[in-house]
Amino acid sequence: MILHPGILSLLSGSLLTLLVMLIASGLGIRILLSWDASSSSEGQIILERKTWLVSTLVNYALGFQIFSAFLFIATAEDIHQLFVGAMCATGSLNANLVGWLVLLIKGILLFAAALWVILNRLDQRTEDCPLVRQKYFALLLLTPLVALDGYLQWRYFRGLQPEIITSCCGSLFSADGESVVSELAGMPARQAMLLFFSMTGTHLIVLSACLRFKATILRPLLFMTAVLMLFISLGAIISFISLYIYQMPSHHCPFDMLQSHYGYVGYPIYAALFIATLYGMLPGICQPLRQHESIEKEVDRIERNWLWFSLWATLIFLLISCWQMVFGSFTLLGY
Amino acid sequence: MSPLLTITNLNKIYHRHQPDEVIALRDISLKITAGEVVALTGPSGSGKTTLLSLLGCMSKPTSGSIQLRGRLVSKLPERFLAQIRRTSFGFVFQQYNLLRDVSVLENVMLPLYPSNQSFRVMKKTAGAVLERFELQKMMRKKVKQLSGGEQQRVAIARALVANPDIIIADEPTAHLDSNLSEILLGILANLNTEGKTIIIATHDPAIYQSPLIQRRVSLRHGEIVEDKNQ
Amino acid sequence: MRRQLKILEYTLSSLIRRKAKNFSLIVVYAFTIATLGSVLFLTHALKEEATGSLTEAPALTVQRISAGRHDLIPTHYTTTIKHLPGVKSVTPRVWGYYYDSLIKANLTLIGSNNPPAELLLLDGNLPENPQECAIGKGVADAFGPAIGDNLVLEDNEQKSNRFKITGIFQAESSLLTNDLVILPETTLRTFFSMDPEMATDLVVEVYNPREIKTLAKKIKYLLPDTRPISRDEILHTYDTLFNWRSGMMLAVAIAALISFCILAWDKATGISATEKQEIGILKALGWETADVLTAKFWEGLVLSLTSFLLGILAAWIHVFVFAAPALVPLLKGWSVLFPKFQLTPAIDFYQLFVLAFLTIGPYLVCTIIPSWKTAVTDPEQIMRG
Ligand SMILES: Nc1ncnc2c1ncn2[C@@H]1O[C@H](COP(=O)(O)OP(=O)(O)O)[C@@H](O)[C@H]1O
Ligand SMILES: [Mg+2]
Repeated sequence: MILHPGILSLLSGSLLTLLVMLIASGLGIRILLSWDASSSSEGQIILERKTWLVSTLVNYALGFQIFSAFLFIATAEDIHQLFVGAMCATGSLNANLVGWLVLLIKGILLFAAALWVILNRLDQRTEDCPLVRQKYFALLLLTPLVALDGYLQWRYFRGLQPEIITSCCGSLFSADGESVVSELAGMPARQAMLLFFSMTGTHLIVLSACLRFKATILRPLLFMTAVLMLFISLGAIISFISLYIYQMPSHHCPFDMLQSHYGYVGYPIYAALFIATLYGMLPGICQPLRQHESIEKEVDRIERNWLWFSLWATLIFLLISCWQMVFGSFTLLGY
Repeated sequence: MSPLLTITNLNKIYHRHQPDEVIALRDISLKITAGEVVALTGPSGSGKTTLLSLLGCMSKPTSGSIQLRGRLVSKLPERFLAQIRRTSFGFVFQQYNLLRDVSVLENVMLPLYPSNQSFRVMKKTAGAVLERFELQKMMRKKVKQLSGGEQQRVAIARALVANPDIIIADEPTAHLDSNLSEILLGILANLNTEGKTIIIATHDPAIYQSPLIQRRVSLRHGEIVEDKNQ
Repeated sequence: MRRQLKILEYTLSSLIRRKAKNFSLIVVYAFTIATLGSVLFLTHALKEEATGSLTEAPALTVQRISAGRHDLIPTHYTTTIKHLPGVKSVTPRVWGYYYDSLIKANLTLIGSNNPPAELLLLDGNLPENPQECAIGKGVADAFGPAIGDNLVLEDNEQKSNRFKITGIFQAESSLLTNDLVILPETTLRTFFSMDPEMATDLVVEVYNPREIKTLAKKIKYLLPDTRPISRDEILHTYDTLFNWRSGMMLAVAIAALISFCILAWDKATGISATEKQEIGILKALGWETADVLTAKFWEGLVLSLTSFLLGILAAWIHVFVFAAPALVPLLKGWSVLFPKFQLTPAIDFYQLFVLAFLTIGPYLVCTIIPSWKTAVTDPEQIMRG
């Protein structure tokens, strides 16, 4: 294990988040067991106040998760010097393959926690809070995920040996390997672009349709386009967006763009993609919740905002990632 | 005319099922129509403050219901109660409850922070109310630098800043000399002619015997013993 | 959003109102951050210095190992290595350490054929004749000689040798060149009584840096008693060493952080009667629990950021202006390596991010429960005074 300031703060941050989530779950269990919306006993009033503590705890935990996801990648960037052959975060993650798993769990956690926070807020806006049980049950599932994240992170850092010789983005994201990512990198640019632009285009069209029509079928459809867009966009970043950002015909790394060398352009790209997906998923997720009258009212009130968020975020994502494609001097097509 | 506030079979029990259980209100039913001026009277400990806090959506009853303009409010989550407090009620507390180290203007603006008004509009609204009570000159002064009478007017200005329909005052004259009580009655009479409903808890005869009071509800040991129009 | 900003405004004014109470918290908080910050800045700067000076170092150095120890290397090895494909040049170096019992310091004596690159000659010129020398600025400061004076060094036979100082130089990073004395190579050989057929080590330059690893393997195969060391290897060793050191110090500093958290907790829990009254009034006037929680969040954030800025400023001054007097005793291992250093100020966002994560997070967590406790104050209490 390497004693590195970033690693120490990530590990202590994980412990802290876990602590926060454990307190929240403890309260959640108590709320689950004795919640009685019809009662106005002092006990129920105290429980109602405790729900605010739980929300605050989870809000902070989510905030922590966001920063720790960034810190994780930044740390992987920073420690790459320790490994022979590593040039960026990819190399550090390859040095102990658990790293990729940590990254995946962190991604899932971000979505899950953000959804929880938003749905909790929605529920708190209603007069009868119909989602209390589902919410606190979901919380009990979220906590083990946080624990798993912390554990795997520890495993990852503990397993790092400075002498390890690792392969970096040059070989992992090269076109001639045999893995899935290599397939992605090796995909003809024209085909990849076609897929990417038709997917984001579909998402935008469904979004506009949702904004215009109230049809029930559109929301689950939007959910699907949002999720598909997320994966296809991640693929597109590896396949060709990165090439335009680095202005190099074979540099497929999804992490280098987070470095200062490229003006940290990766951060707005990933943040916009995250927001576009998250808010695109929400109307679909809320569809089954509409059975509760009060939730339906709130969703109707707020849904337009979600759709607009997703729309703007998608456009910003497209704008930043394709800027170089349109205005840069680098050309990929026509080779 | 439909009643503004309706309470039915209201009970409030503190520390229920515990050795120090206190039944503060027992089976109270009451209807208050818009524009009324009601005095709650009764000896100390009879439950006046408890009843006012329930009417003003500061707390929830142990049982029974409270309806405000036909909306059942007694079961709402606390955040909705807060919302109702800041939009429908203006409170004048016994000790005024002003922030002593804070300027008059900021004190009056306090109920407006959780609203959607911009800061500028908030200042303007507060300024207008202060002007009405001739306090605009001491806007920047801290509350602790004001005299008792001025503090009283600041408290009333704050109660009115969000333009509520109902004014709730709990023993507003308990620490005032009779001169200031007179002024207060004058202000309340003015507000009533503007259509505001006023509910005052008091055991000061100077108040409940004044011609302004249209109705007097007497409490004893948490029960209504008398309810008559004057 | 507007509501949030208005609540922030309220929080700021209430913080200013209670400046006396918050002042002590900010001081202690900033002090904790300054401690942690100093550790991070210092180790980071040292690492930068060391790696910076190493980038100019030769890509591959070949030493001879005898009985498991570094030994003199025969100069004829040069020919063997030179004939390997990909080798640009091979140069033997002569250098060694000299312990001066008078000033109790280690000097590095190096032959003038291979002075370290990026030397900045402050004054005079490099030695040309025997009995001449040039010294690093650190040596000049320690001995106090100027150009034209003599440097007196005792050789193995206790015989005093006088060298006329012809130049004083400095490197961009003083870390590794501070204790340097440059002498003409032949003079140095005599001084160390070194065989002319021997050198301290060999410096190999290559055409393609990617081939260093293969070259090192070949050298080791052809000349089994040698140890080729690549620059990358040294860099890794440094990195590991520095990370380990800073980790250790960080662990100590985290203890300070924890004790600060206990203080913060105490401070946040011990909420004053007037503050409790204030929150009660706000709630009675229609503030929601969520609004008070927002206010408390802003309060924590404003306090943290203020302390953070003050703390890193203090750490920066401590490390880069005063050369970290409070931490140097902890750096025993380094102070042998680097007798005296003046660090080049370097701030890196990553370091700040780590520091913020490490300090602001725990503070905010410490304040969650106390904030919530105040936020759920029952407005009814206010009715009763
Ligand atoms: N928080 C409380 N806990 C226990 N008892 C209380 C509480 N608040 C009020 N009481 C009791 O309720 C009764 C009514 O009090 P209150 O409404 O303040 O009367 P009044 O305002 O008429 O003087 C009193 O006996 C008082 O002691
Ligand atoms: Mg009372």
